[in-house]
Amino acid sequence: MTRGEGGMGNGEKYAKVDRDILAAMEKPGRLYLAGLAVAASLVVIGGILWAYQIRSGLGVAGYTHPVGWAVYITNFVFWVGIAHSGTLISAVLYLFRARYRTSFNRAAEAMTVFALMVAGLFPLIHLGRSWLFYYLIPYPNQRQLWVNFRSPLIWDVFAVGTYFTVSLVFFYVGMIPDFAAAKQHVAGIRKRIFSVLSLGWKGTEREWRHYGMLYLFLAAFATPLVASVHSVVSWDFAMSIVPGWHTTIFAPYFVAGAILSGTAMVITLVVPLRKAMNLHEYITDDHFESIAKILLFTSLIVSYAYIVEFGMASYSGNIFEMEAFRYRALGEFRYLTWAMIFCNSLVPLTLFAKRLRRNTTFLLVVSLLVNVGMWLERFVIIVTSLAHDFDPYVWGTYRPTYVEVGISLGSFGLFFLLYLLFVKNLPVLSISEIKEHL
Amino acid sequence: MADRRIFEDREQFLEALRLLVREGVPRDRIRVFTPFGVPEVEEILLGKRSKVRFFALIGAASGTVTGFAFTILTSLSWPLIVGGKPIVSVPPFLIIAFALTILFGALSTFAGFLLMSRLPSPSGIRSEEEYGNAFVILVEDGGRR
Repeated sequence: MTRGEGGMGNGEKYAKVDRDILAAMEKPGRLYLAGLAVAASLVVIGGILWAYQIRSGLGVAGYTHPVGWAVYITNFVFWVGIAHSGTLISAVLYLFRARYRTSFNRAAEAMTVFALMVAGLFPLIHLGRSWLFYYLIPYPNQRQLWVNFRSPLIWDVFAVGTYFTVSLVFFYVGMIPDFAAAKQHVAGIRKRIFSVLSLGWKGTEREWRHYGMLYLFLAAFATPLVASVHSVVSWDFAMSIVPGWHTTIFAPYFVAGAILSGTAMVITLVVPLRKAMNLHEYITDDHFESIAKILLFTSLIVSYAYIVEFGMASYSGNIFEMEAFRYRALGEFRYLTWAMIFCNSLVPLTLFAKRLRRNTTFLLVVSLLVNVGMWLERFVIIVTSLAHDFDPYVWGTYRPTYVEVGISLGSFGLFFLLYLLFVKNLPVLSISEIKEHL
Repeated sequence: MADRRIFEDREQFLEALRLLVREGVPRDRIRVFTPFGVPEVEEILLGKRSKVRFFALIGAASGTVTGFAFTILTSLSWPLIVGGKPIVSVPPFLIIAFALTILFGALSTFAGFLLMSRLPSPSGIRSEEEYGNAFVILVEDGGRR
C-alpha cells in the first residue's frame, strides 16, 4: 500500500474525510439549538405579521402615495442577489477548474436554493392579496387572455423560476454520490432516506461517466444564469421611466452587486460553519483568501458603478435625473446612502491587505457590513427614486412600519432556519470531490 | 460466479485494471465501482463518450423553440397592443426563450443522466452491498453471456 501524507494509507484518508464531514450530522450542541430557536421564533413572528397583513390589507405596510415599492421589494432583490454567488462558486468556478471551490460549493449551493425560496415569498407578500399570485402564471384563463410577455414582471417569473429549478437540480445532483457515501455511516430511518435520495447510486463506471457529463452541462447551463437573472431583476426598474431607475448600467451594476452580497453571505455562513464543525482541514485560510478576492473585485465594480451612476446623472443635462441623484446623496435618506458607500465601497478596500484577507474574524465583520450595505443599496435605489420623481407636487416620503420590519426579520429567520437544518441533515461538503482531490 | 477484487489504493486498482484488459479479459465483462470519479477508468475500458450531451442539446433547442412559439402564438391569438410595442416583440420574447432554453436544457440533461445510468435503481436502493471507500473490480462470469 502506498503511504500518503502523515503515514496514512489512502483508505484511511478517505475514511477520515467521511468521518470528518459526516461528524457534522451528530447530535446538535446547545449553541446550535439556541440558534435554531432564535431563527424559528423570527419565522413565527414574521408569519404572524404576514397573517395580520393579509387580514387587514396592505395598509399596515408603510406604503405611501409615491412610494408603492419599498422594503418587500428591497428584500426580494436582496435575497435573489444573495443567491447569485452560490451559482458563481458552484458553476463558474467549476468550469474554471478552481480547486478551492470544493470547500464552499455545497454550502454555497444550499445558500442559493434557500435564498431563492425566501426571495420567492416577497412578491407574494408585496401583492397584498397573496392568493391572487397565480395571475402571474401563464395559462389560458376563462377569457382566453394570456399574460403580457412584454412586462419585466413576467420575465422575472420565468427568470427566477428557471433559476430556482436549475439551482435545486444542481444542488441535488451534487449530493447523489454523497448520499450513497453517507448511507453507509448511518442507521435506521436516516439510512433509508439517504438510500432513496441516492437513487441506488453504486459508483459504477457507467454512472460516473454520465455523471461527469451531467455535472459539466449543468454548470454550463447555470453559468449564464449568474448574469441573466439579476439583469432581469434590474429591468424591473430600468424598464420604467422613473429617474434614478431608467438607466442602461442597471444590469451589470446589479449583477456585480449580487455577487458582492452573495460572496459576503457565503463568508458569513462558512466562517462559523468551519469553526463549529471543525473543518479547518478542508476549508483553509487560502480558500478564504480566494473568496475574499472575489469580494474585493466585485466591490470595486460596484464602486465604479456608483461613480458612473452619479457621473451619468450630472452630465445628463436632465433636471429630473440630476435632482434624483442630488436627493439620493443629500436628501432625507442621505445617511443610508453614505452608510451604503461606506459598507460596499470603503470597507472592502481593506482586503487589499493580504493579512486581513486571511483573517477570518475580520472577513466575517467585513461580510456582515457588506450585507448591510447591499440591503441599503437596494432600499436607497427603490425608495429615493420613487419618493422624488418628476413632479414636486407628488413628492413624498416613506417610513417602514413594524409589520414590514418584522416580516423582513422573519425572512432572515427563515433563511437561517433552513440553513441550520441543512447543516445537520445533509453532507456539508462535497465528499466525493474532496476525496478526488486528496 | 463473478471474481471480485477490492483495492484500497487508486493506483493499484488502475494497474490491476490495466493488467486485466491486457490479459485479454473482454471489457464488457469488467465492472468497476469507485468512491469517486476516476477518469482513467473510462480510458482503460474504452467507454464511449456519454450520450447525456445529446439530451442537453435537444432540451436546450426545444426550450428556445418553445419560448418563441409560446410567446408569439399567444400574442397573436389575442392581438392587443400594449405600451405601443409591436404584437410580436422579439427582444422581450427573447428573454422568455432564453430562460426556457436553460430550464429545458437542464431538466432534459438530468433526465438523460437518469435514463443513461439507469437510475433510480430499486435494487441499488435496497442493496445491502457496500464497498465503502474501496475500488472494486468485478469480472463477471463468461458463461452468462
